[in-house]
Amino acid sequence: MPVLLWMLVLAVALAQVAISHQHRELLQRWQQQDAQRVALQQEYTRLLLELSTLGAHGRLDQLARKQLNMTDPEQVQVLRK
Amino acid sequence: MNAQPHKQESQPQGITRWRFRLVLVVFAALLLAVLTRLVMLHTVEQPFLFEQGEKRTVRTEVQPGMRGTITDRYGKPLAVSTPVVNLWLNPQQVNVQQLAVIATDLGMNPRELIKRTERAAASGRSFVYLRRQVEPALAQQVLDRRVAGVYGEDDFRRFYPAAEVTAHTLGIVNIDGRGQEGLELAYDAYLQGKPGSRQVVKDLYGNVIKQLQVRDVAQPGGDLQLTIDLRLQYLAYRELKAAVNQHKATSGSAVLLDARSGDVLALVSQPSYNPNNRAALRPEHMRNRAVADLIEPGSTIKPFTVAAALMSGQYSPGTAINTAPGYMRIRNKTIRDHRNYGVLDVTGVITKSSNIGVVKLAHHLGAESLWQFFTQAGIGQASVLGFPGEAISQMPYPEQMDKLRLATVSYGYGLAMSPLQLAYAYTNFTQGACHKPLRLVMEQGVDMPCQPVMSEKVARQVLNMLETVISKEGTGSRAAVPGYRAGGKTGTAHKVGGSGYKDDVYTAVFSGVAPVSDPDLVLVVVIDEPKGREYYGGEVAAPVFSRIMEQALRLRQVAPDDGSVKNLQMAGGPA
Repeated sequence: MPVLLWMLVLAVALAQVAISHQHRELLQRWQQQDAQRVALQQEYTRLLLELSTLGAHGRLDQLARKQLNMTDPEQVQVLRK
Repeated sequence: MNAQPHKQESQPQGITRWRFRLVLVVFAALLLAVLTRLVMLHTVEQPFLFEQGEKRTVRTEVQPGMRGTITDRYGKPLAVSTPVVNLWLNPQQVNVQQLAVIATDLGMNPRELIKRTERAAASGRSFVYLRRQVEPALAQQVLDRRVAGVYGEDDFRRFYPAAEVTAHTLGIVNIDGRGQEGLELAYDAYLQGKPGSRQVVKDLYGNVIKQLQVRDVAQPGGDLQLTIDLRLQYLAYRELKAAVNQHKATSGSAVLLDARSGDVLALVSQPSYNPNNRAALRPEHMRNRAVADLIEPGSTIKPFTVAAALMSGQYSPGTAINTAPGYMRIRNKTIRDHRNYGVLDVTGVITKSSNIGVVKLAHHLGAESLWQFFTQAGIGQASVLGFPGEAISQMPYPEQMDKLRLATVSYGYGLAMSPLQLAYAYTNFTQGACHKPLRLVMEQGVDMPCQPVMSEKVARQVLNMLETVISKEGTGSRAAVPGYRAGGKTGTAHKVGGSGYKDDVYTAVFSGVAPVSDPDLVLVVVIDEPKGREYYGGEVAAPVFSRIMEQALRLRQVAPDDGSVKNLQMAGGPA
């Protein structure tokens, strides 16, 4: 009987060690992924801001006029080929 | 030789016995002492020690929840939160000599930082911000130096991509991420994320080695979609700014509404500020003038007096009204027109902006029915949006209106409203029998109830009158929008000073609608205290109306309706 109890204690102790190891591993994985989430979120907002800066109405207007030589359509306009 | 060893052996034996006992007793006592201490530590002092141990390793980590994004009606970002790091240090743990390198990383003055830290350490503080809201890459560089006592915590920073263009509408958050002005304040509880907190065990270097419990999971705040169209907002802002600069005005505002739905498409004010640079904020620039400023609408109110007359059924657009001799004395005050217009029809009263004409209409209708109509139309209504700091429109009650006050109210003096409220009132003419409330925030699937204010027929008649204002004979000819039939009304109000109305300080207003055949947009432009030669609403505000309207209609792809554009012809090609 005592031998059996000792075996049981040993088994439980080993299981505890295994579980806490597993806990630590999972925690580490979670931390890595959380850091990745933050990094992605950062990247996303950075790109979002970049996109809105590049696509700003005023900037497009300037580019269209200066680089592409575009003008506002007029009331009566004769287009030449 | 033989006797000596014997002597040596026998003599110590007597001493050894008691010495041996003594040593034994001493050792036993020591063992007992150690045992007692062990038992003491494990029983009596255990709770105290356990608590102290926890204090040194267990930390409650708070993770901020991300604030919701604000977008325009097409999902373009107007306010975005992005992760940053707050760097802080514990002056008790830090070695000041190591701070110099960190200061250079952050572009701070090393000596100043060391002095600041030493002072904080001397006063016993254990928490000092090194710098708040540092970009993550830079913060990581600083933290990688592994200077003891320097820590980072996650935080968010608010960015406003459109900066000063949307500044007044969105408002601003403070450094702790709480809304201070505008929509950020009005919807603070909704936008605010819920911070998460968890209990963890940390090692000496601050690494988490064990997670004890998670109390809350960080939750991001709700996103807000506005009815604002960023393209139109940009456009209105640019034109307004140009006009305010040109006329050296103290301020200005413009409100652009969707004529059919009552959506606020653009809401701009001048002067503005850059909400991304909190250091340069000036309170006078933060005023949302389109919403918070009360103006006397002046002649822009006349169409409502006329609409009230038409609704009474006693007038039609062609009814003749004698405005001769061009002035009228009520009590001790003289109301005058620019010149004697003689006999005008009701349409002509609006075209020429005749004060006498509308006063006659108002006197005939009486204070009670005019007040009732104005109130229904949304003039004198307390608030139209529920925006923080929204001005409360003011209009005298019918009992307070004697003949003189009734006369002044009929042409827009003695009552006050914000530019936004004026624009809202003008949607009456475009929505006819079904006047909807204004909207600044998109709500899916919510159908706004509408109120019948005037009949479709009267709304159409007033629109046609407004169109005549922009004709060559009207007061607002400079508001003409090329390609489109536009309608509107000019207004010029004297500003109130210390002793009544000032003669030389004006507010120029233009309020209008386009295209008249099927109204798409309602626009109000207010230029406050223009200091150039020109100060009339028709000279200062009307050209701004024309410019914003023309470009806005084009952006919204509204077909020209004035009949001048039939088809495009290509040179050399078939007609």
